[in-house]
Amino acid sequence: MNGNAVTVSGLTKRYDAFALSDISFEVPQGTIVGLIGENGAGKSTIIKSILGLIHKDGGRISVLGSPIEELQPEVREDIGVVFDGTNFSEELTPEKLNRVLGGIYRSWDEAYFFALLKKLSLPAAKKIKSFSKGMKAKLSIAAAFAHHPKLLILDEATSGLDPVVRDDMLDMFLDFVQDEENSILVSSHITGDLEKAADYIVFIHEGRLIFSKPKDELLESYGIVKCGTAQFDMIARQDMIAYRKQDYEWQVLVADRNRAQKKYPKAMVIPAAIDEIMLLYVKGEIE
Amino acid sequence: MSGLIRNNFYAMESNLKISFIMAAALVFSPLIINNATIYPMIIAVQIFLFVVNTGTALHADEVAKWSKFELTLPVKRSAVIGAKYVTFAILIVCGLLIGLCTAVCINLSGQTWRFLSILWGYEYGLGLSIISVSLMYPIILKVGTEKNELVLLLSAFAAVGLMCLIAAALSPVTGEMNLQHPLAGMTSVSAALLMFPVSFAVSVNIHKNKEF
Repeated sequence: MNGNAVTVSGLTKRYDAFALSDISFEVPQGTIVGLIGENGAGKSTIIKSILGLIHKDGGRISVLGSPIEELQPEVREDIGVVFDGTNFSEELTPEKLNRVLGGIYRSWDEAYFFALLKKLSLPAAKKIKSFSKGMKAKLSIAAAFAHHPKLLILDEATSGLDPVVRDDMLDMFLDFVQDEENSILVSSHITGDLEKAADYIVFIHEGRLIFSKPKDELLESYGIVKCGTAQFDMIARQDMIAYRKQDYEWQVLVADRNRAQKKYPKAMVIPAAIDEIMLLYVKGEIE
Repeated sequence: MSGLIRNNFYAMESNLKISFIMAAALVFSPLIINNATIYPMIIAVQIFLFVVNTGTALHADEVAKWSKFELTLPVKRSAVIGAKYVTFAILIVCGLLIGLCTAVCINLSGQTWRFLSILWGYEYGLGLSIISVSLMYPIILKVGTEKNELVLLLSAFAAVGLMCLIAAALSPVTGEMNLQHPLAGMTSVSAALLMFPVSFAVSVNIHKNKEF
Protein backbone atom coordinates (compact mmCIF):
# COMPACT_ATOMS: atom_id res chain seq x y z
CA MET A 1 0.00 0.00 0.00
CA ASN A 2 1.26 3.50 -0.92
CA GLY A 3 0.17 5.08 2.37
CA ASN A 4 -3.32 5.61 1.03
CA ALA A 5 -6.25 3.42 2.01
CA VAL A 6 -8.10 4.63 -1.07
CA THR A 7 -6.74 6.30 -4.20
CA VAL A 8 -9.16 7.64 -6.78
CA SER A 9 -7.56 8.95 -9.95
CA GLY A 10 -9.43 10.48 -12.88
CA LEU A 11 -12.68 8.68 -12.04
CA THR A 12 -15.31 9.18 -14.72
CA LYS A 13 -18.81 7.76 -14.82
CA ARG A 14 -21.47 8.83 -17.29
CA TYR A 15 -25.23 8.46 -17.02
CA ASP A 16 -27.86 9.92 -19.35
CA ALA A 17 -28.48 13.02 -17.26
CA PHE A 18 -25.42 13.11 -15.00
CA ALA A 19 -21.70 12.53 -15.18
CA LEU A 20 -18.85 12.26 -12.74
CA SER A 21 -15.88 13.92 -14.38
CA ASP A 22 -12.23 13.34 -13.61
CA ILE A 23 -12.51 12.87 -9.85
CA SER A 24 -9.20 12.42 -8.05
CA PHE A 25 -8.52 12.25 -4.33
CA GLU A 26 -6.93 10.06 -1.69
CA VAL A 27 -7.87 8.70 1.69
CA PRO A 28 -4.50 8.64 3.49
CA GLN A 29 -4.02 5.82 5.97
CA GLY A 30 -4.99 6.80 9.51
CA THR A 31 -7.27 9.64 8.47
CA ILE A 32 -10.95 10.47 8.15
CA VAL A 33 -11.90 11.94 4.81
CA GLY A 34 -15.27 13.65 4.50
CA LEU A 35 -17.01 13.66 1.15
CA ILE A 36 -19.39 16.62 0.89
CA GLY A 37 -21.67 18.01 -1.75
CA GLU A 38 -25.32 18.79 -2.41
CA ASN A 39 -27.90 16.08 -3.15
CA GLY A 40 -27.14 14.55 -6.52
CA ALA A 41 -23.59 15.93 -6.57
CA GLY A 42 -22.17 12.44 -7.12
CA LYS A 43 -21.04 11.38 -3.63
CA SER A 44 -22.89 8.06 -3.67
CA THR A 45 -21.73 7.38 -7.23
CA ILE A 46 -18.13 7.83 -6.06
CA ILE A 47 -18.69 5.48 -3.12
CA LYS A 48 -20.38 2.89 -5.33
CA SER A 49 -17.46 3.12 -7.74
CA ILE A 50 -14.96 2.61 -4.91
CA LEU A 51 -16.92 -0.45 -3.76
CA GLY A 52 -17.19 -1.85 -7.29
CA LEU A 53 -21.00 -1.70 -7.25
CA ILE A 54 -21.03 0.20 -10.54
CA HIS A 55 -18.69 0.04 -13.52
CA LYS A 56 -16.64 3.19 -14.00
CA ASP A 57 -16.15 4.61 -17.47
CA GLY A 58 -12.65 5.85 -16.81
CA GLY A 59 -9.94 6.40 -14.24
CA ARG A 60 -8.32 4.22 -11.63
CA ILE A 61 -9.36 3.26 -8.13
CA SER A 62 -7.31 1.31 -5.65
CA VAL A 63 -8.53 0.22 -2.25
CA LEU A 64 -6.11 -1.02 0.43
CA GLY A 65 -3.47 -1.42 -2.24
CA SER A 66 -5.61 -3.41 -4.70
CA PRO A 67 -7.05 -2.09 -7.94
CA ILE A 68 -10.84 -2.20 -7.63
CA GLU A 69 -11.10 -4.60 -10.59
CA GLU A 70 -8.96 -7.13 -8.72
CA LEU A 71 -10.44 -6.67 -5.27
CA GLN A 72 -10.40 -10.13 -3.70
CA PRO A 73 -12.62 -11.31 -0.83
CA GLU A 74 -9.52 -11.22 1.44
CA VAL A 75 -9.26 -7.45 0.90
CA ARG A 76 -13.02 -6.95 1.28
CA GLU A 77 -12.66 -8.63 4.68
CA ASP A 78 -10.86 -5.43 5.75
CA ILE A 79 -13.55 -3.07 4.50
CA GLY A 80 -16.57 -2.12 6.58
CA VAL A 81 -19.45 -0.51 4.73
CA VAL A 82 -22.50 1.40 5.93
CA PHE A 83 -25.13 2.72 3.56
CA ASP A 84 -27.93 5.12 4.41
CA GLY A 85 -30.97 3.36 5.90
CA THR A 86 -31.24 -0.38 6.28
CA ASN A 87 -28.47 -2.60 5.05
CA PHE A 88 -29.94 -5.95 6.09
CA SER A 89 -33.00 -8.09 5.52
CA GLU A 90 -35.68 -6.59 7.72
CA GLU A 91 -36.95 -10.00 8.85
CA LEU A 92 -33.67 -10.53 10.71
CA THR A 93 -32.96 -9.75 14.34
CA PRO A 94 -29.47 -8.59 15.39
CA GLU A 95 -28.96 -12.10 16.84
CA LYS A 96 -29.69 -13.66 13.47
CA LEU A 97 -27.58 -11.03 11.74
CA ASN A 98 -24.71 -12.12 13.96
CA ARG A 99 -25.13 -15.70 12.66
CA VAL A 100 -25.37 -14.46 9.06
CA LEU A 101 -22.28 -12.23 9.16
CA GLY A 102 -20.42 -14.73 11.35
CA GLY A 103 -20.82 -17.17 8.46
CA ILE A 104 -19.35 -14.68 6.01
CA TYR A 105 -16.53 -12.74 7.73
CA ARG A 106 -13.61 -14.84 8.95
CA SER A 107 -12.68 -12.03 11.33
CA TRP A 108 -16.23 -11.65 12.72
CA ASP A 109 -16.03 -10.87 16.45
CA GLU A 110 -19.29 -12.03 18.00
CA ALA A 111 -18.42 -10.81 21.52
CA TYR A 112 -17.52 -7.36 20.20
CA PHE A 113 -20.72 -7.23 18.12
CA PHE A 114 -22.90 -7.94 21.16
CA ALA A 115 -20.87 -5.47 23.22
CA LEU A 116 -21.56 -2.83 20.58
CA LEU A 117 -25.27 -3.70 20.56
CA LYS A 118 -25.29 -3.14 24.30
CA LYS A 119 -23.30 0.09 24.03
CA LEU A 120 -25.67 1.41 21.38
CA SER A 121 -28.76 0.24 23.31
CA LEU A 122 -29.99 -2.04 20.54
CA PRO A 123 -32.22 -5.02 21.37
CA ALA A 124 -30.67 -8.27 20.10
CA ALA A 125 -33.90 -10.22 19.69
CA LYS A 126 -36.18 -7.69 17.97
CA LYS A 127 -36.76 -7.77 14.22
CA ILE A 128 -34.93 -5.06 12.29
CA LYS A 129 -38.20 -4.01 10.63
CA SER A 130 -39.39 -2.72 14.01
CA PHE A 131 -36.28 -0.51 14.40
CA SER A 132 -36.32 3.24 13.91
CA LYS A 133 -34.09 4.78 11.23
CA GLY A 134 -31.55 5.72 13.88
CA MET A 135 -31.51 2.19 15.32
CA LYS A 136 -30.97 0.73 11.85
CA ALA A 137 -28.06 3.10 11.30
CA LYS A 138 -26.54 2.13 14.66
CA LEU A 139 -26.91 -1.57 13.84
CA SER A 140 -25.19 -1.07 10.48
CA ILE A 141 -22.34 0.74 12.19
CA ALA A 142 -22.03 -2.00 14.85
CA ALA A 143 -21.89 -4.64 12.09
CA ALA A 144 -19.28 -2.63 10.20
CA PHE A 145 -17.05 -2.39 13.29
CA ALA A 146 -17.53 -6.01 14.43
CA HIS A 147 -15.22 -7.57 11.86
CA HIS A 148 -12.34 -5.23 12.69
CA PRO A 149 -11.97 -3.54 9.31
CA LYS A 150 -9.01 -1.38 8.31
CA LEU A 151 -11.17 0.88 6.16
CA LEU A 152 -14.67 2.11 6.87
CA ILE A 153 -16.77 3.50 4.04
CA LEU A 154 -19.87 5.30 5.23
CA ASP A 155 -22.48 6.73 2.88
CA GLU A 156 -24.73 9.16 4.79
CA ALA A 157 -24.47 6.74 7.70
CA THR A 158 -25.15 9.25 10.45
CA SER A 159 -27.99 11.14 8.77
CA GLY A 160 -30.78 9.42 10.73
CA LEU A 161 -29.18 9.79 14.13
CA ASP A 162 -29.94 12.30 16.84
CA PRO A 163 -27.11 14.69 17.86
CA VAL A 164 -26.21 12.71 21.00
CA VAL A 165 -25.84 9.39 19.18
CA ARG A 166 -24.09 11.13 16.29
CA ASP A 167 -21.59 12.50 18.75
CA ASP A 168 -21.00 8.99 20.17
CA MET A 169 -20.52 7.70 16.63
CA LEU A 170 -17.99 10.43 15.86
CA ASP A 171 -16.07 9.45 19.00
CA MET A 172 -16.11 5.84 17.77
CA PHE A 173 -14.78 6.98 14.40
CA LEU A 174 -12.03 9.05 16.05
CA ASP A 175 -11.04 6.08 18.25
CA PHE A 176 -11.00 3.87 15.16
CA VAL A 177 -8.37 5.98 13.38
CA GLN A 178 -6.28 6.50 16.53
CA ASP A 179 -3.80 3.73 15.68
CA GLU A 180 -3.08 5.48 12.35
CA GLU A 181 -3.58 2.26 10.40
CA ASN A 182 -7.34 2.49 10.06
CA SER A 183 -9.05 4.97 7.77
CA ILE A 184 -12.55 6.26 7.10
CA LEU A 185 -14.21 7.69 4.02
CA VAL A 186 -17.51 9.25 5.03
CA SER A 187 -20.03 11.08 2.92
CA SER A 188 -22.36 13.31 4.86
CA HIS A 189 -24.72 16.23 4.56
CA ILE A 190 -23.98 17.12 8.15
CA THR A 191 -20.91 19.23 7.64
CA GLY A 192 -20.74 20.03 11.35
CA ASP A 193 -19.88 16.40 12.05
CA LEU A 194 -17.13 16.50 9.47
CA GLU A 195 -15.75 19.71 10.99
CA LYS A 196 -15.37 17.79 14.21
CA ALA A 197 -13.99 14.51 12.90
CA ALA A 198 -12.58 14.77 9.38
CA ASP A 199 -8.93 15.36 8.53
CA TYR A 200 -9.60 16.07 4.87
CA ILE A 201 -12.62 17.40 3.01
CA VAL A 202 -13.41 16.40 -0.55
CA PHE A 203 -16.03 18.66 -2.08
CA ILE A 204 -18.01 17.44 -5.08
CA HIS A 205 -20.37 19.73 -7.00
CA GLU A 206 -22.41 18.64 -10.04
CA GLY A 207 -20.16 15.64 -10.63
CA ARG A 208 -16.92 17.64 -10.47
CA LEU A 209 -14.26 17.85 -7.81
CA ILE A 210 -14.17 21.37 -6.41
CA PHE A 211 -11.41 20.71 -3.91
CA SER A 212 -9.74 18.07 -1.79
CA LYS A 213 -8.03 19.81 1.09
CA PRO A 214 -7.00 19.31 4.71
CA LYS A 215 -9.89 20.43 6.91
CA ASP A 216 -7.62 22.60 9.07
CA GLU A 217 -6.42 24.51 6.02
CA LEU A 218 -10.03 25.24 5.09
CA LEU A 219 -11.02 26.35 8.56
CA GLU A 220 -7.85 28.30 9.28
CA SER A 221 -7.39 29.99 5.91
CA TYR A 222 -10.75 30.35 4.17
CA GLY A 223 -12.86 33.32 5.00
CA ILE A 224 -15.96 35.19 3.94
CA VAL A 225 -15.73 38.88 3.14
CA LYS A 226 -19.00 40.61 3.96
CA CYS A 227 -19.34 44.00 2.35
CA GLY A 228 -21.52 46.44 0.49
CA THR A 229 -21.65 46.93 -3.26
CA ALA A 230 -19.01 49.69 -3.30
CA GLN A 231 -16.47 47.55 -1.47
CA PHE A 232 -17.43 44.49 -3.47
CA ASP A 233 -16.52 46.33 -6.66
CA MET A 234 -13.08 47.02 -5.21
CA ILE A 235 -12.28 43.37 -4.52
CA ALA A 236 -9.97 41.94 -7.15
CA ARG A 237 -11.57 39.08 -9.09
CA GLN A 238 -8.50 36.89 -8.57
CA ASP A 239 -9.04 37.12 -4.80
CA MET A 240 -12.55 35.72 -5.10
CA ILE A 241 -13.35 32.02 -5.12
CA ALA A 242 -17.11 32.49 -5.15
CA TYR A 243 -19.54 35.23 -4.25
CA ARG A 244 -23.21 35.89 -3.83
CA LYS A 245 -25.50 38.77 -2.94
CA GLN A 246 -27.70 38.32 0.07
CA ASP A 247 -30.23 40.98 1.02
CA TYR A 248 -28.11 44.11 1.40
CA GLU A 249 -24.64 42.58 1.52
CA TRP A 250 -22.23 40.73 -0.66
CA GLN A 251 -20.54 37.57 0.58
CA VAL A 252 -17.23 36.71 -1.01
CA LEU A 253 -15.39 33.48 -0.33
CA VAL A 254 -11.63 33.98 -0.15
CA ALA A 255 -8.85 31.42 0.24
CA ASP A 256 -6.71 33.53 2.61
CA ARG A 257 -8.78 35.52 5.05
CA ASN A 258 -5.82 37.20 6.79
CA ARG A 259 -4.53 38.48 3.50
CA ALA A 260 -8.03 39.63 2.53
CA GLN A 261 -8.43 41.48 5.83
CA LYS A 262 -5.16 43.33 5.24
CA LYS A 263 -5.95 44.10 1.62
CA TYR A 264 -9.53 45.21 2.26
CA PRO A 265 -9.40 46.68 5.79
CA LYS A 266 -12.85 48.27 5.52
CA ALA A 267 -14.53 44.95 4.82
CA MET A 268 -15.58 42.50 7.49
CA VAL A 269 -13.77 39.18 7.03
CA ILE A 270 -14.97 36.21 9.06
CA PRO A 271 -13.84 32.58 9.22
CA ALA A 272 -15.79 30.31 6.89
CA ALA A 273 -17.44 27.15 8.17
CA ILE A 274 -17.55 24.17 5.83
CA ASP A 275 -21.27 24.49 5.15
CA GLU A 276 -20.78 28.19 4.28
CA ILE A 277 -17.99 27.28 1.88
CA MET A 278 -20.27 24.65 0.33
CA LEU A 279 -23.20 27.07 0.10
CA LEU A 280 -21.14 29.75 -1.60
CA TYR A 281 -19.81 27.27 -4.14
CA VAL A 282 -23.26 25.81 -4.82
CA LYS A 283 -25.41 28.92 -4.69
CA GLY A 284 -22.92 31.65 -5.52
CA GLU A 285 -21.17 32.73 -8.65
CA ILE A 286 -17.81 31.06 -9.13
CA GLU A 287 -14.86 33.10 -10.37
CA MET B 1 -21.40 -18.98 1.69
CA SER B 2 -23.16 -20.45 4.74
CA GLY B 3 -24.00 -16.97 6.04
CA LEU B 4 -25.57 -15.99 2.72
CA ILE B 5 -27.72 -19.13 2.64
CA ARG B 6 -28.70 -18.57 6.26
CA ASN B 7 -29.70 -14.99 5.39
CA ASN B 8 -31.89 -16.22 2.52
CA PHE B 9 -33.78 -18.52 4.87
CA TYR B 10 -34.10 -15.93 7.64
CA ALA B 11 -35.47 -13.44 5.08
CA MET B 12 -38.14 -15.95 4.01
CA GLU B 13 -38.85 -17.28 7.49
CA SER B 14 -42.38 -15.87 7.94
CA ASN B 15 -43.49 -16.90 4.45
CA LEU B 16 -41.84 -20.30 4.82
CA LYS B 17 -43.82 -20.95 7.99
CA ILE B 18 -47.06 -20.32 6.09
CA SER B 19 -45.92 -22.56 3.22
CA PHE B 20 -44.98 -25.27 5.67
CA ILE B 21 -48.34 -25.09 7.45
CA MET B 22 -50.20 -25.29 4.13
CA ALA B 23 -48.02 -28.13 2.83
CA ALA B 24 -48.24 -29.99 6.13
CA ALA B 25 -52.04 -29.66 6.13
CA LEU B 26 -52.10 -31.17 2.64
CA VAL B 27 -50.21 -34.22 3.95
CA PHE B 28 -53.41 -35.34 5.67
CA SER B 29 -55.73 -34.62 2.75
CA PRO B 30 -55.79 -38.32 1.67
CA LEU B 31 -57.54 -39.05 4.98
CA ILE B 32 -60.43 -36.83 3.82
CA ILE B 33 -60.30 -37.04 0.02
CA ASN B 34 -60.72 -40.50 -1.48
CA ASN B 35 -59.73 -39.65 -5.04
CA ALA B 36 -56.50 -41.12 -6.40
CA THR B 37 -56.41 -38.71 -9.36
CA ILE B 38 -55.96 -35.73 -7.01
CA TYR B 39 -53.01 -37.14 -5.03
CA PRO B 40 -50.34 -36.38 -7.68
CA MET B 41 -51.53 -32.78 -7.90
CA ILE B 42 -51.39 -32.45 -4.11
CA ILE B 43 -47.76 -33.64 -4.14
CA ALA B 44 -46.89 -31.29 -7.03
CA VAL B 45 -48.47 -28.35 -5.20
CA GLN B 46 -46.59 -29.23 -2.00
CA ILE B 47 -43.26 -29.12 -3.86
CA PHE B 48 -44.11 -25.84 -5.58
CA LEU B 49 -45.43 -24.18 -2.41
CA PHE B 50 -41.92 -23.73 -1.03
CA VAL B 51 -40.44 -21.96 -4.04
CA VAL B 52 -43.27 -19.44 -4.44
CA ASN B 53 -41.75 -17.46 -1.56
CA THR B 54 -38.53 -16.71 -3.33
CA GLY B 55 -39.78 -13.78 -5.41
CA THR B 56 -41.16 -11.97 -2.37
CA ALA B 57 -37.96 -12.60 -0.41
CA LEU B 58 -35.84 -11.25 -3.28
CA HIS B 59 -38.00 -8.12 -3.39
CA ALA B 60 -37.71 -7.65 0.38
CA ASP B 61 -33.90 -7.92 0.11
CA GLU B 62 -33.89 -5.36 -2.67
CA VAL B 63 -36.01 -2.91 -0.65
CA ALA B 64 -33.80 -3.41 2.42
CA LYS B 65 -30.71 -2.79 0.23
CA TRP B 66 -29.26 -6.16 1.28
CA SER B 67 -28.80 -7.00 -2.43
CA LYS B 68 -26.44 -4.02 -2.64
CA PHE B 69 -24.81 -4.57 0.73
CA GLU B 70 -24.01 -8.24 0.13
CA LEU B 71 -21.74 -7.20 -2.74
CA THR B 72 -19.52 -5.40 -0.24
CA LEU B 73 -19.04 -8.63 1.73
CA PRO B 74 -15.90 -10.75 1.36
CA VAL B 75 -17.48 -13.11 -1.17
CA LYS B 76 -17.40 -13.33 -4.95
CA ARG B 77 -20.47 -12.46 -6.98
CA SER B 78 -20.70 -16.08 -8.11
CA ALA B 79 -20.96 -17.09 -4.44
CA VAL B 80 -23.81 -14.61 -3.89
CA ILE B 81 -25.70 -16.18 -6.82
CA GLY B 82 -24.62 -19.67 -5.80
CA ALA B 83 -26.14 -19.14 -2.35
CA LYS B 84 -29.47 -18.25 -4.00
CA TYR B 85 -29.46 -21.44 -6.10
CA VAL B 86 -28.48 -23.60 -3.10
CA THR B 87 -31.43 -22.01 -1.27
CA PHE B 88 -33.77 -22.84 -4.18
CA ALA B 89 -32.48 -26.43 -4.17
CA ILE B 90 -33.00 -26.79 -0.41
CA LEU B 91 -36.56 -25.41 -0.74
CA ILE B 92 -37.35 -27.92 -3.48
CA VAL B 93 -35.92 -30.75 -1.34
CA CYS B 94 -38.16 -29.56 1.54
CA GLY B 95 -41.14 -29.81 -0.82
CA LEU B 96 -40.05 -33.28 -1.89
CA LEU B 97 -39.81 -34.42 1.72
CA ILE B 98 -43.28 -33.08 2.53
CA GLY B 99 -44.54 -34.79 -0.63
CA LEU B 100 -42.98 -38.00 0.65
CA CYS B 101 -44.99 -37.64 3.87
CA THR B 102 -48.14 -37.34 1.73
CA ALA B 103 -47.23 -40.55 -0.11
CA VAL B 104 -46.75 -42.29 3.24
CA CYS B 105 -50.12 -40.92 4.43
CA ILE B 106 -51.84 -42.20 1.27
CA ASN B 107 -50.33 -45.62 1.88
CA LEU B 108 -51.27 -45.67 5.57
CA SER B 109 -54.81 -44.47 4.89
CA GLY B 110 -55.42 -47.67 2.94
CA GLN B 111 -56.60 -45.74 -0.14
CA THR B 112 -56.03 -47.23 -3.57
CA TRP B 113 -53.16 -45.57 -5.42
CA ARG B 114 -50.87 -46.24 -8.36
CA PHE B 115 -47.11 -45.88 -8.09
CA LEU B 116 -46.76 -44.29 -11.53
CA SER B 117 -49.45 -41.77 -10.71
CA ILE B 118 -47.71 -40.70 -7.50
CA LEU B 119 -44.37 -40.64 -9.32
CA TRP B 120 -45.88 -38.27 -11.87
CA GLY B 121 -46.87 -35.96 -9.01
CA TYR B 122 -43.22 -35.76 -8.02
CA GLU B 123 -42.08 -35.30 -11.61
CA TYR B 124 -44.63 -32.58 -12.28
CA GLY B 125 -43.85 -30.77 -9.02
CA LEU B 126 -40.12 -30.99 -9.61
CA GLY B 127 -40.37 -29.89 -13.24
CA LEU B 128 -42.68 -27.00 -12.37
CA SER B 129 -40.55 -25.80 -9.43
CA ILE B 130 -37.11 -26.13 -11.01
CA ILE B 131 -38.07 -24.65 -14.37
CA SER B 132 -39.98 -21.81 -12.68
CA VAL B 133 -37.07 -20.70 -10.48
CA SER B 134 -34.61 -21.25 -13.33
CA LEU B 135 -36.58 -18.80 -15.44
CA MET B 136 -37.69 -16.46 -12.66
CA TYR B 137 -34.36 -15.60 -11.02
CA PRO B 138 -32.38 -14.38 -14.05
CA ILE B 139 -35.44 -12.41 -15.23
CA ILE B 140 -35.84 -10.77 -11.82
CA LEU B 141 -32.13 -9.95 -11.80
CA LYS B 142 -32.50 -8.32 -15.18
CA VAL B 143 -35.79 -6.42 -14.75
CA GLY B 144 -35.84 -5.85 -10.98
CA THR B 145 -37.92 -7.30 -8.20
CA GLU B 146 -40.91 -4.93 -8.27
CA LYS B 147 -43.00 -7.32 -10.41
CA ASN B 148 -41.74 -10.51 -8.76
CA GLU B 149 -45.23 -12.06 -8.44
CA LEU B 150 -45.94 -11.51 -12.13
CA VAL B 151 -42.52 -12.89 -13.11
CA LEU B 152 -43.09 -15.98 -10.95
CA LEU B 153 -46.55 -16.50 -12.44
CA LEU B 154 -45.26 -16.15 -16.00
CA SER B 155 -42.33 -18.44 -15.20
CA ALA B 156 -44.73 -21.06 -13.85
CA PHE B 157 -46.90 -20.76 -17.00
CA ALA B 158 -43.76 -21.09 -19.12
CA ALA B 159 -42.75 -24.17 -17.11
CA VAL B 160 -46.15 -25.80 -17.72
CA GLY B 161 -45.90 -24.81 -21.39
CA LEU B 162 -42.45 -26.35 -21.69
CA MET B 163 -43.61 -29.57 -20.06
CA CYS B 164 -46.58 -29.69 -22.49
CA LEU B 165 -44.17 -29.12 -25.38
CA ILE B 166 -42.01 -32.00 -24.17
CA ALA B 167 -45.08 -34.24 -23.89
CA ALA B 168 -46.14 -33.20 -27.41
CA ALA B 169 -42.68 -33.82 -28.83
CA LEU B 170 -42.68 -37.28 -27.27
CA SER B 171 -46.16 -38.17 -28.55
CA PRO B 172 -44.81 -40.33 -31.42
CA VAL B 173 -43.16 -42.50 -28.72
CA THR B 174 -45.86 -42.29 -26.02
CA GLY B 175 -48.74 -42.76 -28.47
CA GLU B 176 -50.46 -39.46 -27.65
CA MET B 177 -49.68 -36.17 -25.95
CA ASN B 178 -49.67 -37.46 -22.41
CA LEU B 179 -48.16 -35.30 -19.66
CA GLN B 180 -48.54 -38.19 -17.19
CA HIS B 181 -46.56 -40.65 -19.28
CA PRO B 182 -43.42 -41.69 -17.29
CA LEU B 183 -41.20 -40.82 -20.29
CA ALA B 184 -42.68 -37.32 -20.52
CA GLY B 185 -42.29 -36.84 -16.77
CA MET B 186 -38.69 -38.07 -16.72
CA THR B 187 -37.79 -35.92 -19.73
CA SER B 188 -39.36 -32.85 -18.10
CA VAL B 189 -37.35 -33.41 -14.91
CA SER B 190 -34.17 -33.99 -16.94
CA ALA B 191 -34.80 -30.77 -18.88
CA ALA B 192 -35.41 -28.93 -15.60
CA LEU B 193 -32.18 -30.30 -14.10
CA LEU B 194 -30.33 -29.13 -17.20
CA MET B 195 -31.90 -25.68 -17.02
CA PHE B 196 -30.92 -25.15 -13.39
CA PRO B 197 -27.10 -24.87 -13.90
CA VAL B 198 -27.64 -22.98 -17.16
CA SER B 199 -29.85 -20.52 -15.25
CA PHE B 200 -27.09 -20.17 -12.63
CA ALA B 201 -24.50 -19.36 -15.30
CA VAL B 202 -26.83 -16.82 -16.93
CA SER B 203 -27.59 -15.21 -13.56
CA VAL B 204 -23.88 -14.91 -12.70
CA ASN B 205 -23.33 -13.20 -16.03
CA ILE B 206 -26.25 -10.80 -15.53
CA HIS B 207 -25.13 -10.05 -11.98
CA LYS B 208 -21.53 -9.30 -13.03
CA ASN B 209 -22.78 -6.69 -15.47
CA LYS B 210 -25.44 -5.28 -13.17
CA GLU B 211 -24.98 -1.97 -11.38
CA PHE B 212 -26.32 -1.47 -7.87
